[in-house]
Amino acid sequence: MSDFIPAGEVTDAKQALVRLRAAMTQTIKGKDDVVEHVLICLVAGGHVLIEDLPGLGKTTLAYTLARALDGRFSRIQFTSDLLPSDVTGVAIYDEAVKQFVFKPGPVFANIVLADEINRATPKTQSALLEVMDRARVTVDGEPHEVGTPFMVFATQNPVDYEGTFPLPESQMDRFLMRLQMGYPLPGDELEILRSTRTSYDAIAQEPVVSRGDVLHLQALAGRVFVEESVLDYVLRIVTATRTESEFRAGVSVRGGLALRTAAQARALVKGRDFVLPEDVSELVAPVLTHRLSLSRPSSDALEERRQVASVLKHILSSVAAPV
Amino acid sequence: MAKSWPQLEADELHQVRWLLGGALTLIAVSSVFYLNIDAWIAMGLATVSAIAFTLRPAWVARIPTWVHALAFPLIAAACAADLWITGEPLSALVRLNLLLLAYRSAVYRKRRDDLQGIVLGLFLVVVAGVLTVSIAFALQIVAFTAVALALLLVITLGDPAHATATAALTPGEVPRWARHVEWRKLLRRIRTTTDWRVVAAGGALFGGLVVVSGVLFLAIPRFQLENTFWLDRFAMKKAKTGFTETIRFGDVTEITTDNSVAVTVDVSDREKVPAHPYWRMLVLDEYRDGTFRLSALLRRDAFGGERVGVTVRGQRASSGDTWTFYLEPGISRHLPLLGPFAQVQFQEAQNHRWAPGLGVLALRDEPARMTAYRVEGMSTDAELPDRRLRTQLLERATRRGGQPSVWETLELSANDRALVRQALVDAAVSDEASPRERAARMGAWLQARHEYSLNPAVPGGAGDPIVRWLVSREAGHCELFAGSMVVMARVAGLPARVVTGFRGGSWNGFSNNFTLRNADAHAWCEIFDVESGRWVRFDPTPGSGAASEENLSGEESLSLRLDRSWSARLDSLRVFWYRRIVNFDQRTQIEALKTAKTWAEKTGASLREFFDELSATMRALLLAPWSAERIGRAGLFVVAVGACGWALRLGWRRWKDRLGRTSAKGEARVRAEAGRWLARVEPWCGSSRDAERIVSDLQRIRFGAKATWPDPTHTLREAKQLWRRRRKLTAPPRS
Repeated sequence: MSDFIPAGEVTDAKQALVRLRAAMTQTIKGKDDVVEHVLICLVAGGHVLIEDLPGLGKTTLAYTLARALDGRFSRIQFTSDLLPSDVTGVAIYDEAVKQFVFKPGPVFANIVLADEINRATPKTQSALLEVMDRARVTVDGEPHEVGTPFMVFATQNPVDYEGTFPLPESQMDRFLMRLQMGYPLPGDELEILRSTRTSYDAIAQEPVVSRGDVLHLQALAGRVFVEESVLDYVLRIVTATRTESEFRAGVSVRGGLALRTAAQARALVKGRDFVLPEDVSELVAPVLTHRLSLSRPSSDALEERRQVASVLKHILSSVAAPV
Repeated sequence: MAKSWPQLEADELHQVRWLLGGALTLIAVSSVFYLNIDAWIAMGLATVSAIAFTLRPAWVARIPTWVHALAFPLIAAACAADLWITGEPLSALVRLNLLLLAYRSAVYRKRRDDLQGIVLGLFLVVVAGVLTVSIAFALQIVAFTAVALALLLVITLGDPAHATATAALTPGEVPRWARHVEWRKLLRRIRTTTDWRVVAAGGALFGGLVVVSGVLFLAIPRFQLENTFWLDRFAMKKAKTGFTETIRFGDVTEITTDNSVAVTVDVSDREKVPAHPYWRMLVLDEYRDGTFRLSALLRRDAFGGERVGVTVRGQRASSGDTWTFYLEPGISRHLPLLGPFAQVQFQEAQNHRWAPGLGVLALRDEPARMTAYRVEGMSTDAELPDRRLRTQLLERATRRGGQPSVWETLELSANDRALVRQALVDAAVSDEASPRERAARMGAWLQARHEYSLNPAVPGGAGDPIVRWLVSREAGHCELFAGSMVVMARVAGLPARVVTGFRGGSWNGFSNNFTLRNADAHAWCEIFDVESGRWVRFDPTPGSGAASEENLSGEESLSLRLDRSWSARLDSLRVFWYRRIVNFDQRTQIEALKTAKTWAEKTGASLREFFDELSATMRALLLAPWSAERIGRAGLFVVAVGACGWALRLGWRRWKDRLGRTSAKGEARVRAEAGRWLARVEPWCGSSRDAERIVSDLQRIRFGAKATWPDPTHTLREAKQLWRRRRKLTAPPRS
């Protein structure tokens, strides 16, 4: 990582991100940390898995982001009878031109909200996950680019597991972060109650950055400097999860890469062109928890999540940060 | 964010602890090597166990559980049996200690075990030190203390929570830290994570401690603890060859050339050193059955009663010169001397017997440790007066008859006697010549007939072995020459005796002392000259000194003996040590302290003088009348000095920058330094805008790309200032 970012570009990036954050916190009250993590995901070019109860503002979050960066938004409600072509699109025969014409599915957008992803069949899930990985759809051997930037907000209900197809671990790995919304604080909720808005379509958010700006931010994040000792820190954390007996398996190499990329993005969001150890340690929980499972699984998903988080916290305290 | 100091992880700290514990055990075990205690099995066990398990900690888990269950009962039983069989508590304790150390190095040590290991090791090192008083002890205790301190430091650094976690190990389980141990990687990690300034400070502190102990060692009065108790016999005896108290000729054995040091001698006046020093130890009179020995008669008559004391008074008057002898253990109980003396002083009270007529001083037992004694007013003559024998012989001559003295009796068959008489005729020894001349002829005849060899051959056959050799033409060694000459002299009617001791020696050019080696052991004879009433030394052995060197003495002869080889350099260390630990009275000690004091005073005085002069010159310069020219010149000078300083500073900075920018090591150093200051300054980050900027700069130097760094020197200075300022004002704000 020899090339460094000129100071002016860092300042520009910081300002763009400040605008984005301001736009989002205006709509999403009292969820500053979630907003920050979403921004980090956006800058890192990753996708988010939001696990929480319905009605806590997941859709609003995704929609506001789409509006603020001048992107197309689409929402797919996953159900058990949803077909892959319902997600990606389908080629249909057009009588007028006498040939097959590709009709893009809802995935052709910049921000895609995949609601209750675990309700769809694995086949449909994997169709979406392939798009997430490659940012394009291949139908009848022909590739079609989805929007750039492209970001998926997938949601899951952690409580109601009846008739679901839980995402396998290998596919959980494709999400950069797993976030929880949680209930807003009473004061914030009061303010939400006071507002007259009822559905997310009513959100009147003007774009504050362009899609090109976002692409530039993503390119910048890749150039954020990571010092050797910080890389070593990432490595030691990842290795510690592999030797920890409480976990069934440790974090994959992709997981380690994700932690580094996310730390770079966080540094940029904080207005820095280099990564601090705290960038890494702060992101260990959101980036790594969904990639780990206990060797003695718990019957309750929420309980398991809590336990994984506490073991991770213990690991983090035993691995010394570079001074 | 978990920030801890040092950066070594708990596992690595554990590995360091393990390594240091092993090193400590090895140092302690090695000290037993110097003791005369039969503990080879326990020692080998402890050494092998310490080396193997220290290098491969995972092996510890492979030891079956029953070993651990049985270890302590077995060790206790072994100790009890040892005590019961040998009845020597000290050696039993040492063996027990070794077994405990061996077992400790074969278990995963807890904090408590490490502390006990230190105590056990200290016991061994101190016991060995007290018993041997060798220079190795000084090195061992210094090394041991250093390692023990490091171990204690690592123990305190270790996480107590972690320590309890390892306590709950199931048998056969390898703890996490011992699973993947790469010592080389660990050493690299230690090198990168160690704050070398702390190490330097610690090292300086330890060095200071050693210096202070050294000064105390100089200053405290000496006492001989080991002689007061029964500990003496445990000190290691070194077997030496080359010197015998009886000379037997029937079965002549090869004299092995043992080149180890036997005696070292400090000389107060180099001019007094004779060209060919003969260090007399024992006189042999009786010749019977082919053996020379000290007769029971003489043993009773010549020696006075046994005395206990620190000093032995001789007949001579003191001449002011002193000779200090350091006799190695296991050489002899007879002390080497050049001749009669005014006074001999021991380091501590000794049981001794003094035979003035023989010039022999003997201790009761052969000393098992180095014995030092100082001789004052020692004669270096080749002749030894014996008035008693003279009067006895003269009386007998006037009375015509009477018993021959012990120096004249010779038990030889008539046949052998005839052979010797024939030899005397061959040697042209006439009865009319003076005893000195006759002796010289005999010596010349022997030297012409026999060559010198360390592997002599005595021809077989009947009769006396000496006579057989004497009449043959075989080569022989000093004892044969000396014995033959005595036999010839006695047959010719001259009183004669064999003297054994050392001849010559080398002059150590490093420590300026005489060194006598076991290979210098020698035998010669003394013939009594009735006229002068003196025993005259004759050395019939060939090569005992050319006539041209005879007149040399003092510096010239020393220069011929000068030894500046590597072994001399090693020996000089031993002499320095002896000079240090041996103390006849408080005088030398006080002298050493005085020298140190005067040196310090002198240095201080010369410094003060230098500054006084400097200030005087400056004042004279300032007080001289100031003309325009002088002012101009002074201004120019000030400007020039300023310019030089500025240029130096620039050069220094550029050099430092280049160092920091080009080498990866320099970069790492700057990063580490920034990290250190970051940890100190970070608590005040929110206190002011300035502090915030400094912290962000430090963060950039620590974690940012090098090309984007601000000037590290400047930032670090700012950080230092901030830290000092804030520390004075407040405690860091707690977040």
